[in-house]
Amino acid sequence: MDDLASRGAAPAARPHTRLELFTAFLKMGLLGFGGVMPWARRVLVEERRWLSEREFAELLGMCQILPGPNVVNLSVILGARWQGPLGALVALTGILFVPVIAVLLLATFYASVSHSPVAHAAIAAASAAAAGLILGTAIRLLTGARPAPHGLVVAGAVFVAVAILHLPLLWVLAVAVPLGIALEWRAAR
Amino acid sequence: MTGPPDVLFEIAWRFASLSLLAIGGINALLPEFHRVVVDVEGWMTSAEFADLFALAQLAPGPNAMVVSLLGWKVAGVPGAFVATVAACGPSSLLCYFAMRRFERMKRAHLRGLIQRALAPVAIGLVLASGYTLAQAADRSAVAVVLTAASTAAIAFTRVNPVWVLAVAALVGVSGLA
Repeated sequence: MDDLASRGAAPAARPHTRLELFTAFLKMGLLGFGGVMPWARRVLVEERRWLSEREFAELLGMCQILPGPNVVNLSVILGARWQGPLGALVALTGILFVPVIAVLLLATFYASVSHSPVAHAAIAAASAAAAGLILGTAIRLLTGARPAPHGLVVAGAVFVAVAILHLPLLWVLAVAVPLGIALEWRAAR
Repeated sequence: MTGPPDVLFEIAWRFASLSLLAIGGINALLPEFHRVVVDVEGWMTSAEFADLFALAQLAPGPNAMVVSLLGWKVAGVPGAFVATVAACGPSSLLCYFAMRRFERMKRAHLRGLIQRALAPVAIGLVLASGYTLAQAADRSAVAVVLTAASTAAIAFTRVNPVWVLAVAALVGVSGLA
């Protein structure tokens, strides 16, 4: 935790300026090939240490039950928590509006490469690795956040319901969230 | 459908009315977006829609940016920004006020309990999306090895994911995958 100490007297690491907030979310947005979520965890938890593994997992759960893209919700919540409504806008700009410009630039010459077999081979292989990026992040969250045994049951049930049984997400959440809260409540007593 | 302002307005209300339904993200609503922009409005063909979806997946930034590309296709750069704000604005506002309410909740132990209960749900969903993507991407033995190697690299080392993706792309270009 060396860089935590070097940050000064702050009780917990957090962005101190809007620029710091902006660059962190811009990094997630611009590097987020194959999904932004693995990058959000890497930047927020590993690099900046603004969140613990457990806090990240908890926030991600919150973002998933609210409507809207998860990482967009994540930037709204964290931007607002650290720097108020303007902070939410700053984080959103970094993760969403600047990458939109990059994607539009990409889109304008996508047509010329979309039929190249070399590009297709590279993209197919990178997609296989990108899936691993998300699986590896799931393992990190599992070992870092260390859910209690009943939490592992909930995580396993959600995985099976969505990935194996292909049940609609809304139904899965409607059952898993109250169940998780009930199990947590029983364990806390 | 006369001038661009009309089209922008049409994009705005079509996308904004879907925003609050996007539980699980924009991808959960893709069939609905497809219905609106292809079947109802006739803004593009199904193949064009699929191309833009693929592009949003491989481009940097949230995959939700498929809505920006849809807006771009319909009405250029202004269309892209109107679509992005319309699709993400209402849900972001709801998220902002819901979270502010939640974080000011009096009963701190109940708040902590809800948060702890949501972490396993999130982990299960991340695992499921990784698995689903792997199933789609792993069409050869080499692709399976790439997924496994990348999983291990991220889970057990601190290597920068950029290198993982770059090496995989090179393997693909070399003709091995």
